[in-house]
Amino acid sequence: MDLELSQEQKLIQSTAREFAQAELEPVAARLDQGGDQAAFLDNLKKLAGLGFMGLNVRDEYGGAQAGMVAFSLAITEIARACASTAVTVSVNNLVCSVIQSVGTEIQKKTYIPKICSGEFFAGSFALTEPGAGSDPASMTTSAVLHGNEWVLNGTKRFITSAPYAGVFIVWAVTDKAAPKGKGISCFLVPAGTPGLVVGRAEQKMGQHAAATNEVILEQCHISQDAILGTLNGGLRVAVGELLGGRIGIGSLALGVGLAAMDYATRYARDRVQFNQEITRFQAIQWMIADAYTELEAARLLLMQAAFREERGKAFAREAAMAKLFATEAANRACYSALQMAGGYGYSKEFPLERYARDVRVTSIYEGTSEIQRTIIAREILKEISQG
Amino acid sequence: MKILVCVKQVPDMESRFKVNSEGVWYDEKDLAFKLNEYDEFALEQAVRVKEQLGNTVDITVLSIGPDRVVEAIKKGLAMGGDRGIHIKDDHPWQKDPWQIASVIAAFARDKNFDLVFTGLQSQDRGSAQVGGILAELLGFACATTLVAFELNGDLVTVRQELDGGMCAILKFKLPAVVTCQMGLNTPRYPTLPNIMKARQKELLAFPVTNFIGPKNLAATERMYLPEKKGHGLVLEGDVNEVADRLVGVLKEKTTVLR
Ligand SMILES: Cc1cc2nc3c(=O)[nH]c(=O)nc-3n(C[C@H](O)[C@H](O)[C@H](O)COP(=O)(O)OP(=O)(O)OC[C@H]3O[C@@H](n4cnc5c(N)ncnc54)[C@H](O)[C@@H]3O)c2cc1C
Repeated sequence: MDLELSQEQKLIQSTAREFAQAELEPVAARLDQGGDQAAFLDNLKKLAGLGFMGLNVRDEYGGAQAGMVAFSLAITEIARACASTAVTVSVNNLVCSVIQSVGTEIQKKTYIPKICSGEFFAGSFALTEPGAGSDPASMTTSAVLHGNEWVLNGTKRFITSAPYAGVFIVWAVTDKAAPKGKGISCFLVPAGTPGLVVGRAEQKMGQHAAATNEVILEQCHISQDAILGTLNGGLRVAVGELLGGRIGIGSLALGVGLAAMDYATRYARDRVQFNQEITRFQAIQWMIADAYTELEAARLLLMQAAFREERGKAFAREAAMAKLFATEAANRACYSALQMAGGYGYSKEFPLERYARDVRVTSIYEGTSEIQRTIIAREILKEISQG
Repeated sequence: MKILVCVKQVPDMESRFKVNSEGVWYDEKDLAFKLNEYDEFALEQAVRVKEQLGNTVDITVLSIGPDRVVEAIKKGLAMGGDRGIHIKDDHPWQKDPWQIASVIAAFARDKNFDLVFTGLQSQDRGSAQVGGILAELLGFACATTLVAFELNGDLVTVRQELDGGMCAILKFKLPAVVTCQMGLNTPRYPTLPNIMKARQKELLAFPVTNFIGPKNLAATERMYLPEKKGHGLVLEGDVNEVADRLVGVLKEKTTVLR
């Protein structure tokens, strides 16, 4: 057994860390306050230039072929500085990965290099609808074949990066009569296609720099060969690809949790009350001990899930466990970090309130904690009933 | 053209240092290591020469040290080096700058390098001697503390940083050794695809005993952390009087007022 990272993984981690400290961290607070989208997009371009948008993409499509462990490390380091940037990078990688795994050669060559190189700031993953969140199989967006074109109609909600995405992966019902979940297909819709309208922006609690919008499809015509993967096989693609996405979101949460605890612990070491540094109080020490222990456990769960993926082993259960635990541990860590800093933690003078807001959504998107538990239990029960 | 870039791996300078049990170097256990910052400028400049002249340039990245220094070499390869040389030595700190330069010279002597880049100094030892001694041993021209570098044919023009904010322009012919100051350029981040592709580049390892040369000229007697200085001076009392005393202190103890 060897828990040591490879030299390449270490170099990717340190490159991500150095870039994040130099370029992302100085602007993160300003981006959170809104307004400077140009700086945000500029950083995405730089990250693309370094290869962070296609960590698992093959060389021929402009990717780094660095593997899931490196992906997890990179997202954690980016999130330590800016969660909004990290989620955008994570979703871009997810979009590349979907296209790479089920796309035709032409689709791969058309879209993946554009996301990897930064020619597209982003790609969007449009699954969720107003009436279909945890239960995507209940979606109502439809795609009907008219001659040699698909016509899409429906509304997607909470779509990350929609205003600056170059391409959207859109899920839609292609067979209404099929059993639930068996009649959904996946489509590639380029930005600017008539009938694809980026709707209103979500007013969110955190992750303000990353746009989240409604996407409306209104008589949106796309060519017949814009279908991605097999007809009516779309939901399986979403479910399968979200496994990797979960490692991304868990890693993101870990990064925010670590940033919060590192900040709060340094602060506590200098803060004096009752004539002593507050780290002398056992109450503070326990917060530090508990949070770092949980974050370390989260890191190991993430590494384990990523490692299994790289080895071609089943990792659905491990990815769900890692996302569940990492996002909840990171939420607790941010809560403790803010508490440790007292009133200053609540003030915008410190970054802790931003971390606490940014981390909150990690246990909601790409499958809520409740859904992760459902998956974990299902996987365990499946194994037990087989045995 | 053949270029050699000599790089060193040093601890992260934010680390908490402890003196080792022999009392002559710092304890390396539990330290995180990274590429010496000055060497990043050396690597970047070498890669820029390659970009200027094209693929006829071949860059060798060399480091002396234990296995962990391979990470520093790989960073150099990911930034654009063509091949790596790892000279294995578990205790490079036991060698003084003269010996380190001698090891590099013994490796480089018959390799026909035209240009050698090093950092101005290492962040841990800070001797700033290796580049200069290496030039002498190889019989190459030498320029230190570069803040600008230009190559035309076999003519090198550099700007050297001197004390007191002065600079000097130097011109000399290849072959040469140059040592790079921070700010010479903006070192690139290695891209992820290049980090992965660097695995395919040649990376040869040799025991340092292959290049063993002279005995050391200087040995470290003792290493210690500076004693904690006393607390700051707090002047109290009447404002006019305090101001006078402050002027007195500044005149006496500093060069701020003379
Ligand atoms: C900032 C942000 C960005 C997002 N980005 C994207 C994106 O890029 N693409 C995309 O497609 N989607 C995106 N989403 C949508 C996100 O994935 C959904 O919000 C999430 O899946 C939950 O769906 P919902 O909001 O409809 O909640 P619901 O599904 O309505 O859930 C409400 C509550 O009920 C619980 N619940 C539901 N079903 C069960 C069950 N079976 N058992 C137990 N509890 C259950 C949930 O856990 C939750 O607590 C984003 C969301 C946000 C907030």
